[in-house]
Amino acid sequence: MEQPHDLTVEAPRAWDRPAVAVPVLVCLSLVGGRFPSFSVEANLWTLGTGGVLIWLGLNNRVPRRPAPHRLESGAVWWTLPVVVFVVFEGATFVAAAGDGFPTFSRLADPLLEDRLVRSATWLAWLSAFWGLVRR
Amino acid sequence: MMRALAIGGFLVSLALFAVVEWAARREGSRIPTLGEVCAYVMRYEVGSVPVGRIGVFGFWWWLGWHFLAR
Repeated sequence: MEQPHDLTVEAPRAWDRPAVAVPVLVCLSLVGGRFPSFSVEANLWTLGTGGVLIWLGLNNRVPRRPAPHRLESGAVWWTLPVVVFVVFEGATFVAAAGDGFPTFSRLADPLLEDRLVRSATWLAWLSAFWGLVRR
Repeated sequence: MMRALAIGGFLVSLALFAVVEWAARREGSRIPTLGEVCAYVMRYEVGSVPVGRIGVFGFWWWLGWHFLAR
């Protein structure tokens, strides 16, 4: 029988516990951090891990935290950092001035060449993704 | 000069994300956390299609691919 979308599953599975999920995410991040940009491996690893997480997030296999039915008025504060980022990203992208007026991606690229920073970024990306799946 | 402006702008933006999240986590705050905002957006459905979940997952997937694979 099909389950309703808002169903919150109470019984935690073994692999859903932090003691299991965190080491798995760390291992996936360490592997991902070894692959340089533009490599086939990096593309496959990104598409593979993201694809599995999306698959988990679109079915009811992972317990979800209850979502709010409405947002409080203070939610408007989130537009402030978003607008500042979009303004600078848009301006740097349209200007296309290279390193003279770089986009966020262009600034991040040299940092992501370091394997440790790259693995840490992988961990942040996967952890946030896992958090979204559980929402 | 323009490079410093861009770096400063992005740093201000990141700092604002952190400040708003910090404010949202205070006791009795009327500001939802970023996770709550995402969860609210992900509730959006058109018919039985979870458009909000697909959109948020798709955006996050693209972001990872953009920074980590290319």
